[in-house]
Amino acid sequence: MLNLYLFQILNGLGLGMIYFLIAVGLTIIFGLLNFVNFAHGAFFMLGAYLCYTLLQLTGAYWVALIAGPLIVAGFAWMVEKVLIRHCYHLPHTFHILITVGIALILQEGSILVWGPIGKSVPIPDMLQGVITFGKFAYPKYRLFLIMFSAVVGFVLWVLLERTRFGALVRAGSENPEMVSLLGADIYRLFSLTFALGVGLAGLAGVLSAPLRGAHPFMGPEVLGLAFVVVVIGGMGSFTGALVGGLIIGLVQSLMSTIWPQGASLMIYAAMAAVIFLRPYGLFGRA
Amino acid sequence: MLTRRSFLKSGLAATSLFAAPSILKSAHAAAPVTFYGLKSLSGSFASYGKFAEMGSQLAVKDYGPLLGGAVKYVTIDTESNPGKAVRKVQEAMAQEGAALFQGCTLSSTALAVGKEVAKGGGVFMTPAGADEITGTECNASTFRWTVPTYGAIHETVRPLFEQNPKAKRWYTITPQYVFGEALLSAAKDLFQQLGIEHIGNSYHSTQEQEFSGYLTNAMAAQPDVLLILNFGGQASNCLRQAANFGLKQQMKVLLAWTAGLDWFQSLGPDLLEDVYMGAQYWHQVQTPMNIELVKRVKETYGISPNYPMAADYISTKVILDGVKAAGTADGRAVAKAMEGMTYEGPTGKETIRAADHQVIKDYYLLKGKAKSAMKDADDLATLISSGQSFPQGDKIACKMA
Repeated sequence: MLNLYLFQILNGLGLGMIYFLIAVGLTIIFGLLNFVNFAHGAFFMLGAYLCYTLLQLTGAYWVALIAGPLIVAGFAWMVEKVLIRHCYHLPHTFHILITVGIALILQEGSILVWGPIGKSVPIPDMLQGVITFGKFAYPKYRLFLIMFSAVVGFVLWVLLERTRFGALVRAGSENPEMVSLLGADIYRLFSLTFALGVGLAGLAGVLSAPLRGAHPFMGPEVLGLAFVVVVIGGMGSFTGALVGGLIIGLVQSLMSTIWPQGASLMIYAAMAAVIFLRPYGLFGRA
Repeated sequence: MLTRRSFLKSGLAATSLFAAPSILKSAHAAAPVTFYGLKSLSGSFASYGKFAEMGSQLAVKDYGPLLGGAVKYVTIDTESNPGKAVRKVQEAMAQEGAALFQGCTLSSTALAVGKEVAKGGGVFMTPAGADEITGTECNASTFRWTVPTYGAIHETVRPLFEQNPKAKRWYTITPQYVFGEALLSAAKDLFQQLGIEHIGNSYHSTQEQEFSGYLTNAMAAQPDVLLILNFGGQASNCLRQAANFGLKQQMKVLLAWTAGLDWFQSLGPDLLEDVYMGAQYWHQVQTPMNIELVKRVKETYGISPNYPMAADYISTKVILDGVKAAGTADGRAVAKAMEGMTYEGPTGKETIRAADHQVIKDYYLLKGKAKSAMKDADDLATLISSGQSFPQGDKIACKMA
């Protein structure tokens, strides 16, 4: 029995890293642009579908892993230029209205392009199979996901905390007029940040495709989960997304054994507990 | 003596007599048999609705004229939403006098619509999964083509166990709502009858998409067979992740209730290989009607028929047969005519049981083929067995008013 719990903890950490990757783009966009992106799940779905299509065209998962998020980011950059940048100054309710609209267009568009039936994405050959621990087996692909997400998380931290770009974006989120007066193209910075956040959603979609496939209605499921992680960690907090993701992964995995029917419920119970104890999340600011 | 007045009267009467057939004919043309297809053309079940709609449209087209006129087909988009579906059905009944309904993939929608149609004295046939439709919530107007959970379990667990008598330890993964509970309850009863040891069950919520925790529980229990009792997108992810965790190599995997060909296509042969699956319909079954149906669907749409298409095709045809037998499109008369009807269906001879309006038909156990063994893109599974299992006598939950 102890082995089972230890294995569930390992599984929970793996899940947590996947949830971190799903949520980090959402928290970056909110934290740095103060923009609520309800289309985050739809961009995740787009990433999953692009993974499927690029794999069909090239047969190489690695091409999909690189090109998929870049295409999603490029698309987001365009959307930001045409639509989103005109809404930054509006209240959050407008952000929600506009991004829900984008999400619906992407969802229905995906049905037109890929059809209403979901698609499966195979696991790349070199990551097929499992690593066994006694009577338990853990998929190599999930181990790869854990390591890959850790690397992505580290690169993001360096980018946002240790580079001129990160400093400008952080300053721009505090006082855009001042940064603009100092000679930085604030709109370009915001476009890049939005594209980065959405590109991360696309990356999460590409990485999740072999685990969950691609289907038109996966966006809202993922969006709900991303919001739970962001609320637990604190809106806009990079560290919060990591810790929130790990908490959710561990709760879900351990509860699958302790109280299986309540595993999903406990995710929301964990969120309610955090809101009750720390209304701005574990790493959030008032 | 023939006066001018009596001549005119006779003339008018004669003209009326000669004109009568055309007047009657035009009355028929003004009020043809109107058939309403209730389909999830938008919302989360749109993938099923699309094929269901194709099935009903083809059935109406193939049927030809009825009661002296062409059948008019009207589609109602249920939007995968019971509330909206009921409102649209109420409107159709009140404003257009609608009486003949078929469709509703979603059980909650089918249950709600069934009650509404019964109130208005119409007739309704559905392929939905909930046992209550022809069980505790049955009514005089509602008919169901789909085999209930009892049959799905008996026609999958039993043949798999008979082929693998050493596979005595079974683990179940169950969605915690009425459908999952019904499958689990039937499975537990059958396990007891067959001497199978039920070594564990993991319930999950209806929103769950991550199954690694439940699959870990199954791994720890080391069963011979993993019986998956969820459906649709959840079944896809559960199977995908089970394969990912190497469970297909460690134990036999059975999904008692699958959506059939379109679901198989979405997963592909690599995932399905060696997986056992229960199905309501399979396009390769060699019955006279199914051979014809496959031919017609390929001619018309260029694809093989799948479950929603076949289910809605035959349900539409059966209601139209009911209209023909009753000689009227009146809902109550049609429902009466359908009770006890035996007809050639896609699964062979099918009978509508009068006691609960349940269609008595075959259910199938299939096994996923290796990609190298497939003859064409739709040849994704081998038919292992088929048969009919239904609750009988006092086990029939329906008490028809």
